[in-house]
Amino acid sequence: MKFLPFVLKHLRRNWIRTTSTVAAMAICIFLFCTLQSVLAEINALLAASNASRLITRHAVSLVFQVPLAYGPRIQAVPGVKSVANTTWFGGSLPAKKEGKADPEAEATMDWSNFFPNMAVDEAYFAMSPEFQIPPDQFQAYLQDMQGAVVGRKLADKFGWKIGDRFFLESFIPAYRKREGPFEFVVRAIADTDAAKYPGTDTGIMFFQYKYLYESTGRRLNAGTYTVEIDDPSRAGAISKAIDAQFENSDAQTHTETEQAFRAGFIAMAGNLALLLNGIGLAVSFTILLVTANTMSMAVRERRTEIAVLKTLGFPSAHVMGLVVAEAVALGVLGGALGIGGSQGLMWVLSNTPGISDMLAGIGLSGVTLKPMVAAVGFLVAILLGFAAGFVPALSAYRSRITDMLRTV
Amino acid sequence: MSAEPKPAPAAGPMVDVRKVRKVYHRDAEEITVLDGMNLQVPPGEFVALMGPSGSGKTTLLNLIAGIDRPTSGLVTVAGTDVTQLSESDLARWRSRNVGFIFQFYNLIPVLTALENVELPLLLTRLGKAERRERALTALRVVGLADRSRHYPRQLSGGQEQRVAIARAIVGDPSVLVADEPTGDLDAKSAEEILALIESLNRDFHKTIVMVTHDPRAAERAHVQRHLDKGVLKD
Repeated sequence: MKFLPFVLKHLRRNWIRTTSTVAAMAICIFLFCTLQSVLAEINALLAASNASRLITRHAVSLVFQVPLAYGPRIQAVPGVKSVANTTWFGGSLPAKKEGKADPEAEATMDWSNFFPNMAVDEAYFAMSPEFQIPPDQFQAYLQDMQGAVVGRKLADKFGWKIGDRFFLESFIPAYRKREGPFEFVVRAIADTDAAKYPGTDTGIMFFQYKYLYESTGRRLNAGTYTVEIDDPSRAGAISKAIDAQFENSDAQTHTETEQAFRAGFIAMAGNLALLLNGIGLAVSFTILLVTANTMSMAVRERRTEIAVLKTLGFPSAHVMGLVVAEAVALGVLGGALGIGGSQGLMWVLSNTPGISDMLAGIGLSGVTLKPMVAAVGFLVAILLGFAAGFVPALSAYRSRITDMLRTV
Repeated sequence: MSAEPKPAPAAGPMVDVRKVRKVYHRDAEEITVLDGMNLQVPPGEFVALMGPSGSGKTTLLNLIAGIDRPTSGLVTVAGTDVTQLSESDLARWRSRNVGFIFQFYNLIPVLTALENVELPLLLTRLGKAERRERALTALRVVGLADRSRHYPRQLSGGQEQRVAIARAIVGDPSVLVADEPTGDLDAKSAEEILALIESLNRDFHKTIVMVTHDPRAAERAHVQRHLDKGVLKD
């Protein structure tokens, strides 16, 4: 510890260089922590998928619907236990009420309060044990066409309780009605067992597909079908069997596991995991070069001082340790700043109306800086500092005093 | 001014250089810098090494200070054959036995005068307060106690050299080696530095080996030895 002031004083020797190196390191760790947190959230979302559920969608794109007639035919496929229409509604809270249609409706959509909302069949809840709904509330939901099941997180966010009413308007034209927004009544609040079903997001809302179907003139089909199967190990064969049924139809289907479906949904923007990891790796490598260059310059500038230290009796290993300690100190400073920055960004994302709701809309409502990610980020910073300082330190270790003094 | 107990030097010369040969290799070429050098310096002696550039003065000084190794021969300082020591043992030996005064002072610019002087004591087991006290004592000896908080850039050349001398003596070494200590100073500062070195020899009985080109500096020494082409002439 008695050498710490010595190391820190050397860092203050060239403020601009130290600051820029620390800033570069901080940006590296900031990106690492932020990207890894997003990936961790995506992985948690995928992990929450149920292995015994398949999703059948239109083979071309999610934009196209699957005919309602497909439901009974999917149900008839061997190995299928039940089928539920699951249609993503895409509604958000509008600033107006039912029966008061506003020609400027699209302009008044309140995106800051966007959250996932799905129109589903009753069967959906039977195949979704992660959502725990009190039986009496569930019955009340089924008996009310406008009834809604809201997740606990969503209810807490808006302060909703049983019997409260709210309005949603979809941004999808086909899911709108002339009379104005859809009106809903909170009939049930869904909880989850976080230990048994980790990653389950209760920031979601369900309502009856029948309400959507009838309110829009009975012209709709299904967004997707959620299919419960009796044997998860046969998911591939059953998926093929389902898709084979509609191979020669106008609306061919694509059936996959829920996990694959979610991964595909998230990856519509590309291979996110590869992209995020690639960015992180490239940035880390660049920062390694920058820091190594900084340390090399620092050591080269101080060849005489290193020679003096050795002349005074500092062993070569000790001098090497001082150089490495300096580089590691840069890593520690940069790492701490980067982690702080990442934590700050997460806070902003989760507390800024609009952004937090947009993230919630794609199931990433819980993006936070995980302690493990922060710890790994800090370790990466220290390792980067060590790696950057090692070669210059080794050079200082090997250099002969007389050679270094001669380069004055 | 002793930092740690150390063995008393054996009876005989403080510095004993015997049949030392030093050869440098530049590509395929062999350059003999010292050729069969013999030099004995008794304890408490003040020796000036003179000679033209390239005569081997600094090389001899480096061998005595243990920062270089001879190609062959023996270098015994304060009773220790430094040619037999490993790198780490040699470093430890230097910290206890040798004080080095450079021509260009070579103070660490980010450290204050006090911290520069304290630097060698970081290798000892002394506590912070004791280190500070000893460093201040050394600065008092060179007359710069009032400049202890100044950085090298805030000191004149002569003052910087005095701080460097304080750094050299703070560990109470057996031998002080000085490589042209007045080479970068004006006449007045050079006089002050030479007077200080002389007093270290006279009052603290330090054995001093000084390389210099300056005849007036050499006159301060008890003994003047002249080198030419790696050989002592007198």
